[in-house]
Amino acid sequence: MKLIRLALHVCLFSGLCFAAAPAPEAAKPGEELARLADVSGRYGGHLTIGQRSEPKTLNPVTATDAVSREVIGRLMGDLIEINRASQLTEPALAKSWNISADGRTFTLQLRKGVRFSDGYPFDADDVIFSFNVYMDAAVDSPQRDLLIIDGKPIAVTKLDQYTVRFVLPRPYAAAERLFDGLAILPKHLLEKPYHEGHFAQAWPLNVSAAEIAGLGPFRLKQYVPGQRVVLERNPYYWKVDRENQRLPYLDELVFLFVGTEDAQVMRFEAGETDIVSRLSSENYNLLAHEQSRTGSQLADMGPGLEYNFLLFNLNDLGGKKLDEVAVKQAWFRDLKFRQAINVAVDRQSIVRLVYGSRGAALWGNVGPGNKLWVNQALPHPSQSVETARQLLKSAGYSWNATGQLHDSTGRPVEFSIITSSSNSQRMKMATLLQDDLSRLGMQVHVVPLEFRAMIDRVFQSFDYDAAIMGLGGGDADPNPEMNVWTFNGTSHLWHMGETQPTTGWERELDQLMQQQMVTLDYAKRKQFYDRAQQLIADNLPFIFLGTPNILAGANSRVGNFHPAVLDPYTLWNADELYVRGPLMENAGVR
Amino acid sequence: MNYILRRLLRAMLLLVGVSALCFLFTEMAPGSFFDEMRLNPQISPETIAALRSSYGLDQPLAVRYARWVNAALRADLGYSIAYNAPVAPLLWSRAKNTLLLTTCALAITWLISVPLGVWAASRRGGLVDRAVTLASSFVISVPELVIAVGLLALVVRWRILPVGGMMSADSDALSMLAKLKDVARHLALPAFILILCETSIIVRHVRASVLEVLGATYVQAARGLGMSQSRLLFRHVLPVAANPAISLLGFSLAGLLSGSLIVEVVCGWPGLGPLILEATLSRDLYLVIGGIMFSALFMIGGNFVADMMLIVVDPRIRKEGVDAR
Repeated sequence: MKLIRLALHVCLFSGLCFAAAPAPEAAKPGEELARLADVSGRYGGHLTIGQRSEPKTLNPVTATDAVSREVIGRLMGDLIEINRASQLTEPALAKSWNISADGRTFTLQLRKGVRFSDGYPFDADDVIFSFNVYMDAAVDSPQRDLLIIDGKPIAVTKLDQYTVRFVLPRPYAAAERLFDGLAILPKHLLEKPYHEGHFAQAWPLNVSAAEIAGLGPFRLKQYVPGQRVVLERNPYYWKVDRENQRLPYLDELVFLFVGTEDAQVMRFEAGETDIVSRLSSENYNLLAHEQSRTGSQLADMGPGLEYNFLLFNLNDLGGKKLDEVAVKQAWFRDLKFRQAINVAVDRQSIVRLVYGSRGAALWGNVGPGNKLWVNQALPHPSQSVETARQLLKSAGYSWNATGQLHDSTGRPVEFSIITSSSNSQRMKMATLLQDDLSRLGMQVHVVPLEFRAMIDRVFQSFDYDAAIMGLGGGDADPNPEMNVWTFNGTSHLWHMGETQPTTGWERELDQLMQQQMVTLDYAKRKQFYDRAQQLIADNLPFIFLGTPNILAGANSRVGNFHPAVLDPYTLWNADELYVRGPLMENAGVR
Repeated sequence: MNYILRRLLRAMLLLVGVSALCFLFTEMAPGSFFDEMRLNPQISPETIAALRSSYGLDQPLAVRYARWVNAALRADLGYSIAYNAPVAPLLWSRAKNTLLLTTCALAITWLISVPLGVWAASRRGGLVDRAVTLASSFVISVPELVIAVGLLALVVRWRILPVGGMMSADSDALSMLAKLKDVARHLALPAFILILCETSIIVRHVRASVLEVLGATYVQAARGLGMSQSRLLFRHVLPVAANPAISLLGFSLAGLLSGSLIVEVVCGWPGLGPLILEATLSRDLYLVIGGIMFSALFMIGGNFVADMMLIVVDPRIRKEGVDAR
């Protein structure tokens, strides 16, 4: 009897502990809060998100993997944010900014009275400190390259306690978008590790909750190795809803490490997690099938920004012993050969069979999901084996009695396509292409490679004929594409490490990309970028294939669920999410 | 004593060999941790090169190996690139979960296998014997992975157990007893798979060695003298038949860390399996090497323990040790 009573007490007591999430602080006089006029919800409860792997770090400066960034993004705040729904920039910790006429000087007014999640006040010193860290070569932040323009760093100066000035070495279109994702760091917590030279080791996953603070809607509560990260409400968060209630609504946000996409879906179906994103069409359809029973909210947001393509190896192979590939390059360099393949590809089948009709065919690098920048005038020729054959014939190719394609020297056309074995969608694309191209008498071999082994061949050894890859997906703006389309860009995949543009169209493309980058007027930029898209589609350095739709789901309890086509698809408005219906504190235990 | 020393020396050499091979193979594997960054157009090759050199990856293999050995002697297994944290504590935090799973599974496996094997052998050709032989043949012939995925599918469909993880997300709020129950429910599936696969092997070995001893003349003599079946089996047959079983126990001890990796990945148990798989795929060099060394250490330790037990149990081996002197 005594024991039972004791157990009961323990239960009650620990239950109370669990419920004790920090209450939102009352607004302080002079605190400049951001009011979201169209947001309403209800306080309390927690939501659980299944992640495919464990985050690696909570350090916003050194984190590179998507999973870590998904968690860190909820802990940290930026000066200017990209609203994922409208794809436009919005004031965040900077309540306003103005840009000089030459587009080089940005003056930002910071919100007054804002506090970090540990209650420590935020001001211009934190901003200056953060950018010093990002731009410090010794820290090796992956974001550093964003802030170095033409080899020169952006100059950051403090004008007063709440005003900061950024001077760019040259005009840079849409520079305010750079601020999204550059978390403002608490100087009071990170100055010491920075000066001691071990900044990269600061804020590992097992950091104690007292040593980490940010300006995001949540703060760290607990990390259980290999299992979960629990975040709790930041009681000082600087956004309020329609009724001037301080956000976020949720007491807690729990990230559960579940492994694969299938495990993610399984746990979601079992009711153990509340939100699931990056779904494949198979899993989406599976959930849709159960929807009438489970009542979950499923969202097909339409085509995303990722583009998948076939790439031919046009690299200089001098000094590499790759004679086999070098011989085949004579075909790959022939525009007519690439055009023939471009019209022989059955993109509708790709959309139907690879994406289960939840995707879009692509003829250029900008897909229909990017409404602001897509060139609507690009032609979308449908598949025609006949046209392809004519193109090949006019380029001097011929067919033998068994229908096999030979080049003008009598060599049979045979090549291989490498792709990542872990990406089932691209594997399927490769098989479909193999089939399409066999109709032209080409013999194509599909070679699945482990992801990093494939990357190594494309970027380093150049030991491949053709590859199927995917790029994009970050921001809608053309600037992140600079490194793909300029001749010396780091992702200039078809011809890496060029010292100057080799062809006329590449020279023009290069100029267009540089011009759009320094042009501040949207209409003019669009003109440049439209022309760039046209050049790419005409000259086919990549044969574009398709893009999957962004698919996500949440169970019926989740309020304000508004997924977007920009990453992070579902949690970008985590501060607005709330729990509908009864607040079941022990929903996971049955 | 000499015997033990020789064993220890051999174990040391083995560890050196394993670590050298580890370095060689990881060097030969194409790609590196930073390759994924290459796909991000916003990161420059200079930044990647700087990162590589900050982890010492630009050094020649021999230099890296020498540095690693030097550090490993002081129990420092290097730094994980992905986690930006020392490898040893990272491994240990997961190894605890793996050990919980495998020790439970191992204990139950032996508790089942030994009596079942003896029982089957004592009724050779009978119904029990044939059932045990048939069932174990079946389980052995099906790959562990298939069994794991199959059982997982059943559990998901019937919703009888939680899938994945080690405890419920809000188990902090539970009492000690409820917490234990929660962990046990999560443990059930991976442990069951391991027990099933292990038992099918061990029960056959126990049965075979008991059968061998049952044919010996002293057993027939004892029977002739009217000794009861159970006394005969457990007092006289089992100790003699235990010899091969103990070697086997050594192997199962050795597999405590590595035997469950596949099952952990399939069932989402937060042990070493998922950690090492992910580290291998992302080329997180020192984490992979650390994981392998951890497993190798257990392998060698397990065999060592088995050897010691054999010395205690089997006079012939004690004799051999003396002869070798």
